[in-house]
Amino acid sequence: MQAEETSPQVRRPRAHAARMTHKVSGRLALRQVMPLACLSALLTCLASLLWGAGDVGPWQALQVLAGQGSDQARFVVLELRAPRTLIGMVVGMMLACGGALMQVVARNPLAEPGLLGVSAGASFAVAVALLLGMEATGMHVMVAQSGALLGCLFVMSTVRMSGARQDPVRLVLAGAALSSLLVALTSLALLIDQRAADEIRFWVIGSLAGRSLEALYSSLPSILLAVLLTLWLARPLSAMVLGEQVASGLGHHPKRVRKVAILVVALLVGAATALAGPVAFVGLAVPYVARALCGADVRRTLWLCLPLGVTMLLSADVVSRLVVPPSELPLGVLTTLMGAPVLIAVVRARRLPTL
Amino acid sequence: MSRPSPLDPLRSAPTGTLWWRHGKLSLLLLRAPLLAAGILLLALLMASVASLMLGSAGLGPWDAFKAAFGHGEFATVFVVQELRLPRLLAGIATGAAFSLAGCLMQTLAGNRLATPGIIGIDNGATAFAVASVVGMGISLAPPVMALSGAVIATALAFGLSGGIGTRGYRFLVAGIGVGALFGAGTQLMLARVSIDAANSAYPWTVGSLNARDADSLTWLGLALLIGVPIALWLGRGLNTLRFTDRVATGLGQPVSRVRLITLWLSVVLTAAAVAVAGPVGMVALVGPEIARYLSRHKGVPLLASALAGALVMVLADLAGRTLLSPQEIPVGIVMAVVGSPYLLWILLRSPR
Amino acid sequence: MSAETMLDPRAMNSPADRHAAATTDTLRANELSLGYGARQRHVTVIDSLTLGLPDGKVTAIVGPNGCGKSTLLAGLARLQLPESGAVLLEGKDIHAYKRREVAQRIALLPQETHSPEGVTVHELVRFGRQPYQGALSQWSEEDQRLVAEAMAAADIESLADRELASMSGGQRQRAWIAMALAQQTPLLLLDEPTSALDLGHQIEVFELIQRLAHEEGKTIVMVVHDLASACRYADHIVAMHAGHVIAEGAPAEVVTPELVRKLYGVECRLIPDPDTGTPLLIGVRRTSERLSGSAT
Repeated sequence: MQAEETSPQVRRPRAHAARMTHKVSGRLALRQVMPLACLSALLTCLASLLWGAGDVGPWQALQVLAGQGSDQARFVVLELRAPRTLIGMVVGMMLACGGALMQVVARNPLAEPGLLGVSAGASFAVAVALLLGMEATGMHVMVAQSGALLGCLFVMSTVRMSGARQDPVRLVLAGAALSSLLVALTSLALLIDQRAADEIRFWVIGSLAGRSLEALYSSLPSILLAVLLTLWLARPLSAMVLGEQVASGLGHHPKRVRKVAILVVALLVGAATALAGPVAFVGLAVPYVARALCGADVRRTLWLCLPLGVTMLLSADVVSRLVVPPSELPLGVLTTLMGAPVLIAVVRARRLPTL
Repeated sequence: MSRPSPLDPLRSAPTGTLWWRHGKLSLLLLRAPLLAAGILLLALLMASVASLMLGSAGLGPWDAFKAAFGHGEFATVFVVQELRLPRLLAGIATGAAFSLAGCLMQTLAGNRLATPGIIGIDNGATAFAVASVVGMGISLAPPVMALSGAVIATALAFGLSGGIGTRGYRFLVAGIGVGALFGAGTQLMLARVSIDAANSAYPWTVGSLNARDADSLTWLGLALLIGVPIALWLGRGLNTLRFTDRVATGLGQPVSRVRLITLWLSVVLTAAAVAVAGPVGMVALVGPEIARYLSRHKGVPLLASALAGALVMVLADLAGRTLLSPQEIPVGIVMAVVGSPYLLWILLRSPR
Repeated sequence: MSAETMLDPRAMNSPADRHAAATTDTLRANELSLGYGARQRHVTVIDSLTLGLPDGKVTAIVGPNGCGKSTLLAGLARLQLPESGAVLLEGKDIHAYKRREVAQRIALLPQETHSPEGVTVHELVRFGRQPYQGALSQWSEEDQRLVAEAMAAADIESLADRELASMSGGQRQRAWIAMALAQQTPLLLLDEPTSALDLGHQIEVFELIQRLAHEEGKTIVMVVHDLASACRYADHIVAMHAGHVIAEGAPAEVVTPELVRKLYGVECRLIPDPDTGTPLLIGVRRTSERLSGSAT
């Protein structure tokens, strides 16, 4: 069997060019989009506070927010839903930005940490740590981040080894293979140690249920580090879109930039996985929408990813609470249902745009 | 070239083939795939005997063999005939079906990575079969449900990526997307049922020979009985599909018909196998690969693929049963652990 | 009536004339229209084209990119259903034949071929016998003999056991031609047979094609990108522009500076090749004048 042969049906450069120019002219300025995106993020936050699987309905929750309401309602809204919403916001932002960064580094619109096995790497590392008897919540974040880093490094070395740079789709296949390996190994760990099984199952499916703020606090330092590094990275990264040679011609250090960017992706995705388990497709769908709205420059994309990531993750979480009360759906299921069509849409585009 | 040219003796078969004639009937068989099939059959026999021998109660090869035919101590006969033999048969049948389906799909797509598992057919079949198992108000037999799921997933994967003829990797990713959707669907259904039902369905959703039921196995047997001869009949047409469509058409092959039958065959075999063992899609990648290697890439090794798949499945199940005994590793996990690195290796090694 | 008598392309401009001229040819197109795409994106590539392909000669279809020459070849080879009109093979609509019957009369060598791993030259040439074989009659002495002859004709006997993937482009192309020869067809259709080859290999393949027509009496139709090679090796040239035939006939008669300007928008002078007498293009340079409109 052989490598790709483009059939004449697939190759229609003219139609593509027409679409592209259309897109460019239809692109919006960041300041036009940002308020709307923030508004949608706020609305989903509110929805996340108002709706839940329990007895406390939206009206009661509103009363609580207005400073009234019963003790029970206060407890549910302030002690259960508020931390969950906060965690969801952070996770959404981290996954979306992680995805956007990874796509720039891999120059591949399909490079999504969940699809490429980065989240799976984090899960696997945590599963192994649990098997070895580690307990502390703070440890989880570090372990997950190192697992994510390993996954990242592996996948990025794939980019360099194979023709993945020219063929964006091959990277996804490699990532899918890595994911399936790591998921299988995690399941294996789950089989070996029944005691840890319940705790590990969380690391296989992904959910915001029952996560405490302590987990969030313990990941704050690494998040802060990631934010600082990202601020430093934004400018050189946007130059790297033009190609590494051009970027070094502009006085940047592409290799160093790429290494730091990979580290940031690992910090973000690892922390997100430690908080919510593996949640796929957020890092694909959100940057995709962001790019479609205001262009491919990573500096704009990242800003837009923040509110859009919150919107996607929290709306998925709200739906997951409401579909099968009193139990909950895994969060990853809903993000997949939302994000997989985006994957298909990207692939369906006549020519895969390179980043 | 030191070997005799295949042209000189007009009455001898071309190099690397076996030629059989009787009146107007004649067969020209490539030697390498036949040889590969022979080796694989032998290995499969050995693996089968081992699979009957090994387990919680170890048996000698001769005891196991006798017990398979009902001779020996009652307990031994029971263990072998009631537990190990059906499991072995299920392993052979599912492995052969998965692998043959994989070989067909790869040839169809002109891409060795295009296995039903990767393009989401396994997941589609699983989602629908799970729907029937957990009772979502549809009371059709799992094989029928699995088939509908597989057909829908196939239609989506191919339809969304622009047709069957698309070579290359694009439709694989469309398939990954479709597979992810169906996987999420399966999880969604499992989340709706009681935790016990979900737990009992869990090993089946990762792929295991534990959850097999006799009806589904019968359906699979039927599918193989009909599918294998059809596949072999298609062999010549499939051989020309390895070139471009235009070449195949120019040689008088009904390309679209061959493609359609091949696609259906692949989907039906996959669905029937999923209904028995769940998604063990990696067999469809590894089996044909072994077959092609052993037959030195001569022709489309359909028979050898089926045998290699059966062998791999039996070995994987054996490993899953014995490695962590008494804990059992589902065969799907064993295959994922073995097959994924292999998939990665193919991806990293092969040139663009 | 044969090609020599249709010297002046302008005299043949009415479809009725060309139709009359073409009736003796084994393969011809009659008011043929070809296109692709669904309703809204529909493109007609070939518009009501009538053409006869002279028997026993090498015909070269030339024209600028996107003029529809490959589409025409696909239509002639029964790979594409016409929108209107017909391709006539031995006087009968080609789509009235079974696929296999066409494969016994027309051998096709597509532009893009693909060499699967492990296939040797002899195996490839054996595929040429498929139109004559069945699932239970897979190989006969006749097949054996014809494969040997085809390989001898293409001069690749010594490479019989080599794998396609390990050979040079010219050798591989000769192997493909041998496969087409093993089909034992009076007609041979080639789509840019030398597109990926260097000069030496190009000549190797063109000389083989010329020999097949002149010594074995095959009718050969090839799409050629390079006008100079077409002039040098073809007996009959069909010049296409935007889905229409704008000139056809012997190279020396048809290829004029005016035609070259029409086709490619370049100025040139023509001199007869001192060795063969075929036209040679010299002093080629760009002009602004070029026929407007193009297909695809």
